[in-house]
Amino acid sequence: MAPAIVIIDMRFLVNLLEILLPFFYFCTIWAYAKAFFSNLKVAERWSGRFLLSTLLVHTMYIVLRSVEFQHPPITSIFEILSLIAFTVLVVYTYIELRTKNLSTGYFILMLPFFFQLVSSLFIKEVPEIPPMLRSNLLGFHVLSALLGYGALTISAVYGFLYMMLYHDIKSKEFSVIYKRLPNLEVLERMSFTATVFGFVLLTIAIVVGTIWLPRVLDTRSFADPKLLGTFIIWLIYAGGLVGKKLAGLHGRRMVVLSMFGFALAMFSLTIVNMFFSGFHKFY
Amino acid sequence: MNIFCLGINHRTAPIEIRERMWFSDDEIRAIMPLLHEKQLMEAVLVSTCNRTELYYVPGEQITNGESLWQMLVRFKHAEETVQEKYFYSHSASEAVEQALRVASGIDSMVVGDVQILNQMKEAFGIAQESRCTGIMLNRLFHTAFHVGKRARTETEIGEGAVSISYAAAELATKIFEDLSKRTALLVGAGETGKLTAKHLMSRNLGTLLLANRTRQRADDLVVQLGGRAVDYEKIVSELANVDIAISAVEAPTYILSVQEIQQIMKARSNRPLFIIDIGVPRNIDPRANSIDNVFLHDIDALNHVIDQSLAHRRAEIPKIHTIIQEELGVFMQWHDSLQVTPTIQQLREQFEAIRTTELEKFIHHFPSDKKEALEMLTKRIVNKILHAPMVNLKNGTNGSLDSETRNKIDLIRRLFGLTTKHHS
Repeated sequence: MAPAIVIIDMRFLVNLLEILLPFFYFCTIWAYAKAFFSNLKVAERWSGRFLLSTLLVHTMYIVLRSVEFQHPPITSIFEILSLIAFTVLVVYTYIELRTKNLSTGYFILMLPFFFQLVSSLFIKEVPEIPPMLRSNLLGFHVLSALLGYGALTISAVYGFLYMMLYHDIKSKEFSVIYKRLPNLEVLERMSFTATVFGFVLLTIAIVVGTIWLPRVLDTRSFADPKLLGTFIIWLIYAGGLVGKKLAGLHGRRMVVLSMFGFALAMFSLTIVNMFFSGFHKFY
Repeated sequence: MNIFCLGINHRTAPIEIRERMWFSDDEIRAIMPLLHEKQLMEAVLVSTCNRTELYYVPGEQITNGESLWQMLVRFKHAEETVQEKYFYSHSASEAVEQALRVASGIDSMVVGDVQILNQMKEAFGIAQESRCTGIMLNRLFHTAFHVGKRARTETEIGEGAVSISYAAAELATKIFEDLSKRTALLVGAGETGKLTAKHLMSRNLGTLLLANRTRQRADDLVVQLGGRAVDYEKIVSELANVDIAISAVEAPTYILSVQEIQQIMKARSNRPLFIIDIGVPRNIDPRANSIDNVFLHDIDALNHVIDQSLAHRRAEIPKIHTIIQEELGVFMQWHDSLQVTPTIQQLREQFEAIRTTELEKFIHHFPSDKKEALEMLTKRIVNKILHAPMVNLKNGTNGSLDSETRNKIDLIRRLFGLTTKHHS
């Protein structure tokens, strides 16, 4: 008797992972929340396991989706959202493994959870994909931009945590935030490191985008709203980094600048993309 | 159960009485032989600034003359001030529970005090040196140490700052990552200021600067605390390079205004500045707290930290009660197991179990007509082995158990691995 061969339909697997991913993120956040608010050692152990499981499942999802649809997952805003969630997850996992500090995980991972939830709820197959969205060069441009935005997102969350702790210390309200978070200097350093990381990647994305892409794109325009928006964001971060070096921007001011840059970046990624037209709008 | 606790603490007696009843280590060593004379089989005397407690196991003959509390008072020559009403006494499981409560820190004046466990260990050490401990108090104190350890590892009873100086040092570590790269300036020579500087030094503070209106006092402080003295007139310029400032001077007006601190922040490129103002009246204009990257905490703010820590510690008390009840249960089971009859019965059962198991393994090697004889033989061997220990144990019981018999029972139970039967 011939052995039974189980063939798993690839499309089914992609759809299944799409549904499962938000649950994985939720479980991870739940474990981190338990570890943060209840200080449970069991939750600390489980948060690490959930984090790595979520990373594994999300990696599988990205790879399988790219193989099944024969293009990188950059063809719709919902694919992009999932990719942003993935990049934030990757950068956070790296930071946690480096610093061995779990106390910020709950706050950071809220973002990828939200992004992936929206992505899983609304994602659908794009019937016709413009040929240039299958370009590897574009893939590199988008990936570096998204990794950059992922790092800036983390920088902003660390900035937000800094502001919460700053407020707690200033106002003498010593909540659980005060007890569990690392000190202000560490949060500022984490935020700054992520900013530098994001700035370098964003620079690469802009260089790739402005030098090589016009060669393959006829409709390019340097007055494109998203291009301008990204350039302004880049300038703000560049100004902040130079300001820190020259004018001694420290503590709250540096963090506020980082959060302002992030808010603009989000504006550029979402609102500009939805309401302004330009060559940068593909979907 | 024959364990008692006689004591005096912050709840039953004011400080004037407690200080009269405080025993130094040497005094404890001196009173131990007297307690033995008083027919106490075992005794441990724990004495701290907030309590003096005698845990003891009385002998069979209790002397009727002077009571124990009178003896302690007479030893301290405090007959005129210390009366019986300040003492409390507990017996049996209540005495055990009292020891566990004390070790856990929930009976301390400052809930969660970490010192008490070490003080109990020292008191127990002195009692052991004086050969005043036996099976009961050994077990009781080891149970108490275990409770103290569990309380600190399984709950947050010892967490948070409960003194002004500690709260200030802890706040500094919530702002700065590595104090070894930081400089602190102590202005004034008040006790709390000095303690705060000491706490910062114990956390590896990089540099300590000391300023006082009288230069000589600043120099004296350098001898006490280390660091470097600076001129009082130069504190504003020094603050440009300082990360933590502790101000504790008596001054009718603010010694630093908002404008001065704004200037200082400019000079220090807006790097964070933590100012601890423990002066009353306040030394620093409180409006300075609204300046970016300036963290100004006065005595009220630090007291607020302490209140929050204490509230958090008090919220942990139910968890401690659970630990105490668990360990009290284990102690009571151990105590109950120290009885002759159940020990003999358990020992018999264990030997009988071994006999039957081994017999079942090998009995098929023997012809069936020999099996009964084999049964008899093995039973006789077991009975013979058990005979002497049982007789010895039974001879020790004359109504109540003496210490030697308890030791024997405990030894037998441990040697033969007799487990304690659990209470339902």
